[in-house]
Amino acid sequence: MIYLDHAAATPVDEKALEAMKPYFSEHFFNPSAAYLPAKKVSADYEAAKATIAHAIGAKASDIVITAGATEANNLAFTAVSGAPRKVPTSFRVLYLEMEHDSIRAVAKKSGGKPIKVLPNGLIDLNDLKTKITDETELISVALANNELGTVQPLAEISGIIREIKLDRLKRGIKKQLLLHSDASQALNLLDINVARLGVDLLTLNSAKIYGPKGVGALYVSHDAKLQPLTVGGGQENGLRSGTENVPGVIGFAKAVEIANEHLNGNRKKYASFRKMFLSELKDFELINKKHVLDNFIVLCFDGIDAERLVFLLEDKGVYVATGAACAASKGVKSHVLKAIGLSDSQITGSLRVSLGETNDERQIHEAAKIINEVVQAERKRIGHE
Amino acid sequence: MSKTVYVGMSGGVDSSVSALLLKEQGFNVIGVYMKNWSKDLPGMKCPWAEDLADAKRVAVKLGIDFEVWDFEEEYRKKVVDYMLDEFKKGNTPNPDIMCNQEIKFRLFLEKAIEKGADYIATGHYARIVDGKLARAVDGNKDQTYFLYRISEEALSHTIFPIGEMLKPDVKKLAEKHGLHNAYKKESMGVCFVGEVGMKDFLKEYIDVKSGEIREIESGKVLGYHEGAVFYTIGQRHGLYLDGEKGVVNDGMPYYVVKKDIKNNIVYVSKNLNHETIWTKKLRLKDVFLRVKTCFSSAEKGQVLVRLRHRAPLVSATFDGRTLHFESEIKRPAAGQSAVLYDGEICLGGGIIA
Repeated sequence: MIYLDHAAATPVDEKALEAMKPYFSEHFFNPSAAYLPAKKVSADYEAAKATIAHAIGAKASDIVITAGATEANNLAFTAVSGAPRKVPTSFRVLYLEMEHDSIRAVAKKSGGKPIKVLPNGLIDLNDLKTKITDETELISVALANNELGTVQPLAEISGIIREIKLDRLKRGIKKQLLLHSDASQALNLLDINVARLGVDLLTLNSAKIYGPKGVGALYVSHDAKLQPLTVGGGQENGLRSGTENVPGVIGFAKAVEIANEHLNGNRKKYASFRKMFLSELKDFELINKKHVLDNFIVLCFDGIDAERLVFLLEDKGVYVATGAACAASKGVKSHVLKAIGLSDSQITGSLRVSLGETNDERQIHEAAKIINEVVQAERKRIGHE
Repeated sequence: MSKTVYVGMSGGVDSSVSALLLKEQGFNVIGVYMKNWSKDLPGMKCPWAEDLADAKRVAVKLGIDFEVWDFEEEYRKKVVDYMLDEFKKGNTPNPDIMCNQEIKFRLFLEKAIEKGADYIATGHYARIVDGKLARAVDGNKDQTYFLYRISEEALSHTIFPIGEMLKPDVKKLAEKHGLHNAYKKESMGVCFVGEVGMKDFLKEYIDVKSGEIREIESGKVLGYHEGAVFYTIGQRHGLYLDGEKGVVNDGMPYYVVKKDIKNNIVYVSKNLNHETIWTKKLRLKDVFLRVKTCFSSAEKGQVLVRLRHRAPLVSATFDGRTLHFESEIKRPAAGQSAVLYDGEICLGGGIIA
């Protein structure tokens, strides 16, 4: 098997798995219980949260653990509570048009407006500037896109936001203006620091960085006032009630630790894999050329139906995707590729390859060879050759 | 030049094997997924995208072209709206029969012919013998009950590749060719709703209106229901009876025996022998005869009748309007179909009035 879909899921790192194990049975106690063994679990949990928080330059008390990135994204949007404005021209919530479905769905619920992207996949800052009005309270831009791997200039965006906030203060407008970013895809590839990025809310995801699924976190700055999505025992500063997922968070923290250790090594490795892979592939157009995470490769095979390639490659033990896994399961065309201006036939011909820790050099050569063969056979079948 | 056949592929094993067989027989095969319904219902995810992916995977494996034809609008109009109208009238229609008549063997056929098809094919268990619709070899799977209203024109352009096969052999063949879905459950259109979900489905489109449940013999109110249209004659589940102790809760179930749609009353009885449940006669409407057989009051014809999919065949005489049975049969719900056979041949049928 050659797995080239790390953007969809990653296997749990063995060390992370080992770290989790004792917390399923031996240290099973409820962290809120009074006796000492439970206190120990509580302390381990807090330490794990601190590890996660430190990785992004924050404190344990700044993050809320969630059951994954989708929940964290939903929680972030509670910063703009209340019913959506009736006015159709409301610019209260802005989001990048190529955001993940978990952002698009929740943003639409609050009447959000999309910000355009340029053909190179980067945010159209002019469009952002024109769309921010005195009404705007929340802007959501993913640090790295989940289909293209495009890394957005968040520091630049937060710079613009800072100026607008200053101007609002001068004019006596007190309305909040928060920047949220979903960093699910980037935690093991970019050195993330919330202060440097200037974000108020940041979503993290364990499942994409070789930690367990169903665990995520939301960094919440002191400026952001959120509403809980679940209420009860008041865990996570009252923002997410429910007994803590101790093994999940322990595993997440371990994955974060490992990711941090290998940050630069990983980038170099993936960059060299990417270069090698692209030099060996034939007859394709590279869609995500610049400003991307090193492990994301989006290929367009003109005149070919990439969905067929997915199945043909599956037959040869090579696993790839045509876009986000959740979009594929809904049978809709990629809104991300549409946003960067690809034609319908380009979108149909596009394949997403996301490299990761399960890959080695030999696999990359092998995958390039198999993809070349399969594409050639498919071209022949439909009579292009 | 090989003949071109468009095969409807649902992602299930039957249509997958049908495509496989046609390919092996040397046809130029094009697989088509008919997108008839995609809306999720509360608590029920419509599996269309998965079905589509399964169908496409098989097409890719077979190396055939694959297309998606969107019939959602027509399906909504011709099948779902018909179904809702019938339910509102108090009938229990069969959407699959309508889907075959209007979508698969009309729209699909027309579009395929337009695109240059010589034939269409589906994964139905049915045969065509001397140009006539005939029961499948696998008596347990025979689907002619759902096909009795498809047009002669459609039939003349249709191939049923698995009609001669037994289901276990179809599965084996699928496995042998690595068609992954050998164990997948079959599902099509709103059939994902199933029998259990039908009431929930209907509630999406028909307003809930509470009414009385009365015992037919005594007229006594035993409980309340959410709308007479949601109930079917013979039904015994989903009745919320809260009547006097010992009367209702003596362990004997109540059955729906009559619906008064106008006054929104559902009548029930414990009497399994109630006259509304058993009958020796069935009046049919919208009779559709496939074979030019003369049925009249003067010339009653001897036929075999199927009153539900997979129900045993019962012999009866038919005079063109009414079926006469030798002994009493359990009356199917109005709106269901009675399908007539002469041996293996499907003669047509009608809708129970």
